[in-house]
Amino acid sequence: MSQPLDLFLVGLSHKSAPIDVRERVALSGEALKAALTELKGMEGVGEAFVVSTCNRVEVFVQASGEGPARHFFTSRAEQATEHLYVKQGSEAVRHLFRVAASLDSMVVGEQQILGQVKEAYGLASAASAAGSFMSRLCNRAFVTAKRVRTETDIGKGATSMSQVAVDLVEKIFGDLEKRAILLVGAGKMGALSAKALRVLGAEAVLVTNRSPERGQALADQVGGTFRPWEQLEDLLVEADVVIVSTGAPTFVLTEALIRRAMKRRRHRNLCLIDLAVPRNVDPACADLDEVFAYDVDDMEKAVSANHEARRGEAVRAEAIVEAEVMAFAQEREVRAALPVLVELRKRAERIARAEAERTLSSVGARLDEKGRKSVEAMAQAIVKKLLHQPTYRLKDAAAHGDSDLPGAAAALFGLEEQEQPPRTRRAGGHAAARPAASPEKTK
Amino acid sequence: MSLELLRIAAALYLVAAAGYILYFARPRHAVAARFGAWVLAFAFVVHMVAIGLACKEFGGLEWFTLRGGFVLMAWLIAGAYLLVQRFHHLPSVGAFVTPMVLLVLVPTLFGEGGSPGVAPETLRHPALTFHVISASLGVALFGIAFGVALMYLLQEREVKGKKFGVLFSRLPPLQSLDTLTQRLVRLGFVVFTVALLAGQVMAHKVWKSWDPQQVSSVVVWLLYGGMVQLRHAGWHGRRYAKLTMVGFALVMGSMFALRAVPGFTLHTGTYAPAVPGVPPPRPGGAP
Repeated sequence: MSQPLDLFLVGLSHKSAPIDVRERVALSGEALKAALTELKGMEGVGEAFVVSTCNRVEVFVQASGEGPARHFFTSRAEQATEHLYVKQGSEAVRHLFRVAASLDSMVVGEQQILGQVKEAYGLASAASAAGSFMSRLCNRAFVTAKRVRTETDIGKGATSMSQVAVDLVEKIFGDLEKRAILLVGAGKMGALSAKALRVLGAEAVLVTNRSPERGQALADQVGGTFRPWEQLEDLLVEADVVIVSTGAPTFVLTEALIRRAMKRRRHRNLCLIDLAVPRNVDPACADLDEVFAYDVDDMEKAVSANHEARRGEAVRAEAIVEAEVMAFAQEREVRAALPVLVELRKRAERIARAEAERTLSSVGARLDEKGRKSVEAMAQAIVKKLLHQPTYRLKDAAAHGDSDLPGAAAALFGLEEQEQPPRTRRAGGHAAARPAASPEKTK
Repeated sequence: MSLELLRIAAALYLVAAAGYILYFARPRHAVAARFGAWVLAFAFVVHMVAIGLACKEFGGLEWFTLRGGFVLMAWLIAGAYLLVQRFHHLPSVGAFVTPMVLLVLVPTLFGEGGSPGVAPETLRHPALTFHVISASLGVALFGIAFGVALMYLLQEREVKGKKFGVLFSRLPPLQSLDTLTQRLVRLGFVVFTVALLAGQVMAHKVWKSWDPQQVSSVVVWLLYGGMVQLRHAGWHGRRYAKLTMVGFALVMGSMFALRAVPGFTLHTGTYAPAVPGVPPPRPGGAP
């Protein structure tokens, strides 16, 4: 007799394993499909589902043990063993919900992970590795993620310097249509921010640098135009957002220079973002009207403030996850009780019918049609009355998370000895294998 | 009857304001802003019916008093904002404008409305009606500009002061607020100019001397006219927002201050009952 199936999770993530291990076991597309089919075909595996992103590879199996899922990793990379974590039952459910809600992400609250989990489920479903249990599990995970997103502010606030730059520029200019971004210096951070700012639809990216070669190279990289260093003041008039990251040890944009440029700009707003250390923009510039100047410190402060805010929201998110895990478990219990109930009722009705027939075959000749009907009805009524209380109790116990009673009922009524497929008799297990016994369809 | 309707309208404005403010406090609930907009539109219609009824009851003369002017102005602020909303999608502005509507409307809900007396024949002139309505509309537009300028200054403080807090994320971009202020000021100026001209026609006919309200209106007109000009000279941002606020403060201040001294201005809108033989009473007017 096969062992009861439960949900197992074996996985590794950015928290437990270095990138070189993660990339060895990460799969996508067809390779992942093949791996899913292989997993599903293994001994003792009911359903399977694999989340594989650059930050995590996690194998969820509904199986009799964690072995098959572990094998997924060990067969691909021997050194993965020491980085694996294993979770079972509601622990595994909770983990999936937290992952989908982006509570386990490197940047808590980032948006991508939900899409990746959805994709993973789609793939597992297409490979027929995920069945009705995984479907219910994943849908619940998506519902949880959506609740977290709409009921908390966990996804709010920029969490990287370039994102802060985008937020700032957006609050000053709205969008950058018909405006230009100016990159002063060929620093890496500057290029990153310029790329991020492209989402605001800047018309042009201008690049200037003391050495024309490097400047030209950077311009090619960010898709901008190089302008000679001598034109700096003109460029400050032309552009509205200036990102400064040179290696110069002094102020490149002095107050006098900005003052002149502002006059020529007729005081149109100018945003200066200084990403250089030591600073390249004179802090006195920030005091000029219509000049909005920020340095690395300001940006980092914003980033850490947002991280702080997200941590606060994460506490609220965890509560939502907890509620959903409990709701899912309860749903599972109710489903677990259903096969027992159905079986019990079926058996009882069969006995009632058999007994009624036996009675009728011996005395039926002396009864008219009405009398025979009464005998049959009486047999059914006894069954109903007898089973009424147990039915109610079983449902109630299941709804309150008591998984012992259905098992006890099965044992008490001798349902275990029935000639039925073993999958329907998981103690506290999942009724998924018997769709006929599950009145509620998955959403 | 019209007063009851006005009270209903005020209650609706209150609900609309609550919707907009809820949206401002919790931007997640975008539905609150949409709800606010619908209720505001409904309140606007109820308010319109109230004004129509009052016109019937009092022959349209109550609009020449300060109280009537306020009723009219609150309605016009609401209407102007509904219009602005169509062109600028900035629901957070609603959180600032709807309370202003209430602020203007609520004082008129108490005391008795109604005819201030029998207006003289000289006042039954279309130019005066036109003057009252356009002046109220102009001031309404300046009022909205005041609210938007206030938002600008608040946001500027956040952005410039590197405080990326609650207001920073809730308030619209500086550029949008600045553009909106400028458009409102320009439009308000045009309407106000028309109001002044219409008023001038009447004043010339009825009074022979200048009224203090006329003088202050000209000062306000010059100020806003100057702002329209300065805009072409590249003025914007903080200085512009401050001027916008000063202008509106001047409008409101002069309206109250001039009326605080009895008999100082003829723009009171209170008339002595018309008695034959008595010199023709002076025309009153809304701000």
